[in-house]
Amino acid sequence: MDGGLLAIGAGLAVGITALGTGYAQGKIGSAGMGAMVEKPELAGRVLLLVAIPETMVILGFAVAAMILLVLGGRG
Amino acid sequence: MLVPMAKVRILGHKDCLDQTLAALRGLGVVQIERAAGEEPPLPAMALDAGRLRQREQDRTLLTRLQTLLAALPAPGDESAPSPAPDLAALAQELDAVEPQIRRLVQQRDALEAERLSLPRYLAVLESLLPLAAELPDLVGYETVALLIERRARHVIDLLDDLLTELTQRRHVVIAAPLDRDTYGALVVFPRAVATEVHALLGRQEVTRVQLPPTLAGKPLRQAIAECERRMNEIPGELAELSHQLAALAGAHRARWRAAVDLLAARIEQTEIIEHLSETQFAFVLVGWAPARAVPELTRVLAEQVGPSVVVEELPLTERERHRAPVLLENAPPVRPFERLVRLLALPQPGALDPSALMALVMPLFMGMMIGDVAYGLLIVAITGTIARRARAGSVWRDLALILCGGGLWAILFGFLYGEFLGTLGPAIGLHPLWRAREDAATLVSLFVLAIAIGATHVILGLLLGIGQAWRKRAFARRQAWQEIEERLGRLIGLIALFVLVAVAARQLPQALLTPAAAALLVGLVILARASWPLGALMAPVEMLGVVGNVLSYLRLAAIGLSSVYLALVGNELAGLVGNLWLGIVIATLFHALNLALAAFSPTIHALRLHYVEFFTKFYEEGGVPFRPFGQKS
Repeated sequence: MDGGLLAIGAGLAVGITALGTGYAQGKIGSAGMGAMVEKPELAGRVLLLVAIPETMVILGFAVAAMILLVLGGRG
Repeated sequence: MLVPMAKVRILGHKDCLDQTLAALRGLGVVQIERAAGEEPPLPAMALDAGRLRQREQDRTLLTRLQTLLAALPAPGDESAPSPAPDLAALAQELDAVEPQIRRLVQQRDALEAERLSLPRYLAVLESLLPLAAELPDLVGYETVALLIERRARHVIDLLDDLLTELTQRRHVVIAAPLDRDTYGALVVFPRAVATEVHALLGRQEVTRVQLPPTLAGKPLRQAIAECERRMNEIPGELAELSHQLAALAGAHRARWRAAVDLLAARIEQTEIIEHLSETQFAFVLVGWAPARAVPELTRVLAEQVGPSVVVEELPLTERERHRAPVLLENAPPVRPFERLVRLLALPQPGALDPSALMALVMPLFMGMMIGDVAYGLLIVAITGTIARRARAGSVWRDLALILCGGGLWAILFGFLYGEFLGTLGPAIGLHPLWRAREDAATLVSLFVLAIAIGATHVILGLLLGIGQAWRKRAFARRQAWQEIEERLGRLIGLIALFVLVAVAARQLPQALLTPAAAALLVGLVILARASWPLGALMAPVEMLGVVGNVLSYLRLAAIGLSSVYLALVGNELAGLVGNLWLGIVIATLFHALNLALAAFSPTIHALRLHYVEFFTKFYEEGGVPFRPFGQKS
């Protein structure tokens, strides 16, 4: 299989999920900061909410790694 | 773990009230609740006129002291606590000293404001100085300096025309650019028409350079010289004022701080009386105390107050037990993790305190993600130093201890992966006891390990949740059974899914396919029943949610891999430059960045896995913290 196409696929897997994660975390983080100004005791929950979307990029990374290492190894 | 709490009722003669409250304050083991609403119903205790007057006096004195202490400089070294002064004489002392302190503070603030503003005035005056050279010396004339934005340059010509009409050509306007954005102008006009000219400038909304009284009215050169002279004098004057304030702080601060503590305690003791109820001769105090502290409470009150005070422990229903305040108490290695639990929310009374579980598992997750002997050693060294120097119980010490635990596990996993500064393990004879993470062949095994750890953690959470719900069924039957069904359904469904996947991957015999499918169906049915009829639709979604929770543990592998690859890039790049010292610099920068990420990112992700994937299976939050009367906030 063409190594270049594998690399593009892996890049898209990480890149698109990272964009989605970044967008979500940006929205959540800014709203969370506004809430924390009013109630500092919400820090733990805000941290929790900001960290939730990271599952997307983690799974994207896992797919990218499998594309490169497993599919690339077979190719 | 949660300290078992007991509800106590303290009855005593009203003559012993102050003594009792002082003894309770000294002990610091009773959280006093409002006695209204307790059985038997008794009227709330009101403050008499004497106590109200005393409270207002104490509040006034406290406010004065706090204001003065805020104005005085803090000492470089905290001196030994001073015995509290005589509060009666303190008010007179403040009457004598307060005006002096206020005067010094006002002078200091005025000098600070002047010190900040003089450079700005000086810059404007110096920029206008070339224009002043063109001005004739005229008696009976006034000069106004103007600053105009470059884009509004036409205002100068407009002003010239208006002033021509107003002063019958007995004026001069000199303008020139001061910088890229600003024009400066000097306007000279007869003093006789000063009022009309200022009104005109006001109507045109032109910014005049308003000088302070010490500079206004002076010729430009003299004003500049005055500015420079003041700028040289002000630091000396400020130093003298600071010296005087420091002397006052040294003389009074320690005693006043002790007085603040004493007044705060007195005010708290007075205000707590409104929480009590009363009969004709007795007061009734109801509160919560750690069950193990009740015998000591009884003994101390008997010794300090006498037989006029009685302590009784009240019987509790389950419902009342769930309204108790929460006090966490764990062994020293677990205490830093209590802070992480509190960051989310305290557990409900009677619920499980997850601090010990976090102390066991979170450093393991951190170590698995970092997985490097060198990084682990550095983290242990740095955080160990911080932990030794930081104050006991402080945020820094707790964070340092948590990271130190992660560092120790990172060393262990570093030996498993054979990693030392990323891929330099083989170079120093370190070979993986298990597998090297950077190898392509390890990837699937690493992911399977992460998912297996995740499944174990989630299943543990579900089992704990079922246990918690089982204990609750005596007093919240319906809710308890709903939670049991929900968690049991997820548990059965999750195990069945894993068996199905293992059968599909030929890791288990095909004969297990049908039982696993049946078990999955049973799990879905139980889950649907828990929140019927909506559960019929939501059950598959919730099952997918649990699968998603398990897959989230892939981050244990993914974050570790990203760390390895960053180290690999640093090592490869250092080798490519062809110069030893430059290579060392490059490698150091990459590894320093990787170390900083290794300290921060695994901590956040391990915390997130606990909060989202683990706690949501069993954790019941909503506990109110135990705040005993007499505890320093």
